[in-house]
Amino acid sequence: MIEFINLVKKYDHGVTAIDNVNLKIDKGEFAFLVGPSGSGKSTFLRLLIKEEEPTSGKIIVDGKDITRLKKKDIPFLRRKIGFVFQDFRLLYDRTVEENIVLALRVIEAPEKEIKAQLKSVLQMVGLVGKEKFFPNQLSGGEQQRVALARALATKPPIIIADEPTGNLDPITAEEIFKTLLEINSRGTTILVVTHAKDIVDSLNKRVIALDHGKVIKDEARGVY
Amino acid sequence: MTTNTYLIKEGYTNLNKHGSKTISTMLIICATMLILGIFVIIFQNVNYNVKTLRLEQGLQAFIEDKTTDDEIEYMKDQLHLIDGVSEIIYMSKAEAFEDAKDQFKDQDYFLDGLENLDIFPASFIVKFENIEDVDNIRAQVEKIDGIYKVKYNASTIEAVISISKVANYFLLGVGSVLLVVSIFIISNTIKLAVYSNKREIMIMRYIGAKNSFIVKPFIVEGAIMGVVSALISFILISIVYVYVYVALNSSYALGVFKFIPYSTIWYQILGLYVLLGLFIGIFGSAISLKKYLKA
Repeated sequence: MIEFINLVKKYDHGVTAIDNVNLKIDKGEFAFLVGPSGSGKSTFLRLLIKEEEPTSGKIIVDGKDITRLKKKDIPFLRRKIGFVFQDFRLLYDRTVEENIVLALRVIEAPEKEIKAQLKSVLQMVGLVGKEKFFPNQLSGGEQQRVALARALATKPPIIIADEPTGNLDPITAEEIFKTLLEINSRGTTILVVTHAKDIVDSLNKRVIALDHGKVIKDEARGVY
Repeated sequence: MTTNTYLIKEGYTNLNKHGSKTISTMLIICATMLILGIFVIIFQNVNYNVKTLRLEQGLQAFIEDKTTDDEIEYMKDQLHLIDGVSEIIYMSKAEAFEDAKDQFKDQDYFLDGLENLDIFPASFIVKFENIEDVDNIRAQVEKIDGIYKVKYNASTIEAVISISKVANYFLLGVGSVLLVVSIFIISNTIKLAVYSNKREIMIMRYIGAKNSFIVKPFIVEGAIMGVVSALISFILISIVYVYVYVALNSSYALGVFKFIPYSTIWYQILGLYVLLGLFIGIFGSAISLKKYLKA
């Protein structure tokens, strides 16, 4: 599903953020990407959604080399990847429903599909009954669920979560991971960037560790 | 709701969201449109009067006193033979006297008692198709026996033509400046709108929005601002025009100058304003978006 081949990313100021990385994440896999600040995790994610260009190497997403993707095709790549952020990135002047529906409007989904998908993702993330609430009326955990619902609405084959529980208490964080595991069980590939050691250790999933732009550990059932 | 309906609705929502900025932008656009409209109206009226004058004015050929009716008929035939002459009107001595009375209107008392003195000569009013032919026609009219003087009120016509030419250039210059100013103002407002929606745009990008999806609400916002400003300007300028028309056309303050009736000019102003509003709105938005929305 995702493959990095001899990938190098050097910045103009001389820092090598990704240093010859070779990595493959299969369809339906659940993987953690861990590492200290400055290890290259953020660059890794930015390269995946083509926010940045690699210096050399290839990135394959869903069978396509995205390094050769034209500018006009970038939105279509991003539609394959549902992104969840640490700070939720919700629109605070819009309701839960409007935040989720926006993702479906962007892909020009028909009205019937919008209604059906909204109902489905609200159930999946446990937010039925909160459709008309504004994000500020919700707890942090609920806001992250809205973000998750928005990422899921277009049924992307890949979900990338960047520190999804960084702003949440441990119990809420656990609930978010439960939901992510449930989504993964339906066949969605999930990559989570996190510092939540306890959760990584308890879930017994694949762990890829980056440091100074290199993969220093890649274990199928690893710990932090 | 189709995607386009949604995007139009978004554009309208944006307008409300940027309330005070929207209102101040529209006020400035209205002001520039009004100034532009006034110049267009002046230009249209000057052109209208030039056209009317060109048609109405003609040469006046004065006939010698002792000319007989037969000779007058013969002279008329000769005038008809001149190329470019469109109409010939014979004005007898009595008609010339009545014409003078008409011209002086309320002050015609000083003509009292002059009816039988034969002081006004008979004449032909020779009208022509093109102003350019006037010198040639005049030369030929002067050659006709029995004509002792040919009068052509060239100065009035030439003055009006040169005014219209100046008005033309002035309109073009002022119009261009105002157009650029309006585009700049709308573009600036949209730039601020884009800036205040930065976060929303970034989120839309992450969820795979195409540039057209992001851009359309801003274009709609610009277009609505342009068209609403156009309609407000149209209403204001119509009120002023009708008021000025009624006040000045019924008096003799402007002499021969006549205003174009509102009924024949309103749709031109409305059309111009709406097209201009759309152009300013769409173009103004587009130029600021091009710079600020890179994938």
